[in-house]
Amino acid sequence: MGPIFQLSMRQLTGKWRLAIIILVAAIPVAVALAFRITGDAGDRSANDIQDAARVFLDGMIVAAVLPIVVMTFATASFGNEVEDGTLGYLVLNPVSRWSIALGKILAPVAIAAPVLIVSGIAVTLIGLDGDARTAAAVGVGLFAGVVGYSVIFAWLGLVTNHPLGFALVYVFLWEGLLSSLLGGIRYLSIRAYTLTLMEGIDDSRLDAFQELTIELPAAIAGVVLVSAAFYWLTVRRLRRMDVP
Amino acid sequence: MASISLRSVSKWYGNVVAVNDVSLEVEPGITGLLGPNGAGKTTVLHMMAGLAGCSEGEIEVLGQPTRDNPDLYRRLGMMSEREAVYHFYSGRKFVELAARLHGLADAASAVDRAIEYVGLSEVQGRSLGTYSRGMRQRMRLAASLVHDPEVLLLDEPLNGTDPRQRIEFHDMMRRLASEGRTILISSHILEEVETVADRHLLMVSGKLAASGDFRAIREKLDEQPYKVRILCEEPRSMASALMRLESVESVSMDDGAVLVLSRNVAALQRAVPLTAREMGLRLLRVEPMDESLESVFSYVVEG
Repeated sequence: MGPIFQLSMRQLTGKWRLAIIILVAAIPVAVALAFRITGDAGDRSANDIQDAARVFLDGMIVAAVLPIVVMTFATASFGNEVEDGTLGYLVLNPVSRWSIALGKILAPVAIAAPVLIVSGIAVTLIGLDGDARTAAAVGVGLFAGVVGYSVIFAWLGLVTNHPLGFALVYVFLWEGLLSSLLGGIRYLSIRAYTLTLMEGIDDSRLDAFQELTIELPAAIAGVVLVSAAFYWLTVRRLRRMDVP
Repeated sequence: MASISLRSVSKWYGNVVAVNDVSLEVEPGITGLLGPNGAGKTTVLHMMAGLAGCSEGEIEVLGQPTRDNPDLYRRLGMMSEREAVYHFYSGRKFVELAARLHGLADAASAVDRAIEYVGLSEVQGRSLGTYSRGMRQRMRLAASLVHDPEVLLLDEPLNGTDPRQRIEFHDMMRRLASEGRTILISSHILEEVETVADRHLLMVSGKLAASGDFRAIREKLDEQPYKVRILCEEPRSMASALMRLESVESVSMDDGAVLVLSRNVAALQRAVPLTAREMGLRLLRVEPMDESLESVFSYVVEG
């Protein structure tokens, strides 16, 4: 797994890709900062903080920046190999398909998680007057979201030639629209798992997501099961596909 | 015992048959897999390497199934036709990746050996993106060789190489084969493998058209009659004139066209326009009725 992880890290960390992604992740921080500077200097009410959580954490980071950043890296993880015709170099080796898939999934996690967690914690501290517990809640929730999305998007890069297009449709239709409207879909939604974990760890400041969350055990089980299921699907695809 | 064995192997993509009921065996030494572009050579090699599954039939390499069998790659090396490489890696780093993925105990020595084998030691530190096409091919070959495989599958390995590099490549293949390896080299250009291969397999339109040494393949081709449809002015006069030609086996009429069967295609190709000119007839169209045979013919003649 080591060489494949290192190769994938090298493939995914092109100067421009990394710069654009850092810029995207910095947008919520900049907005929170601007909001803080231009807003009232006095104490903010619980309602203000809840509104800020909804706007900054859910609206900007969890619903938009998180999936966009992860899809940029994770769809390319296998997608570039398929498109360039280099996947053969990886599969023509005595390496189990589980190891290949793991290396290809862990690389986008290793790149996207620090960027997003830093962005999320900065927004929490600046925009939500958060403390260490709030920051930990946001960090854990975002990490779970990065893992869940990475596995799904890495699989997508292996099964279609247009992974970014499908990823965008999935994020905006399933995670954005349908999971907001239909409660049952939240049990199969990375966005709901992320928000539920945040709220579960710090419900004093992050209880603004009630309409979008599920039970904490269901969210923990959900993120584990969805990740495991798509990991298994990725390995299965690697075993059965005709490598170009 | 054959190193590679295919039994009634077919591969289709939807309604398109890429490989049709191919059975063959490849023994140690150098075997050339020949055929025009689109004949199914790459598909056969990919199935041998386990990169593609077969729709029907069985494939074994060194007595083992090839699909979803990563352990087999300790003994099998492949260089695919696609020339993509990791451009950001140096040549050495690229071969090192292969060595590390194979879990070689002394990876550094294996990398040194493989790069020296292909004669690129001096440029191993340069980025692959700066290599010429021929150099990239050789470094890719080094990566396929780094684990010292018993079976080596090479898909159009001479693409982009110049005549001197081809001679060097042939020498390299002979050295590898002399060590007891099984090497299968595909090419659509006969002369690329004619002199280096001990045996040849000829594929046409997804089928194994002939196998054996080069002379046997030529004889086999001569056995197959070649059918041509000729549209011209006064087809009946043309038909009777063509019947007198030595190269023509039989002539018949088909809906205003002349159908000619021949076993000497080269002579027929020369004779038809000459006959038409002598008779003052205008040839409207001359078309082979059996595209695969036409391909085989032109392939061998042009090769």
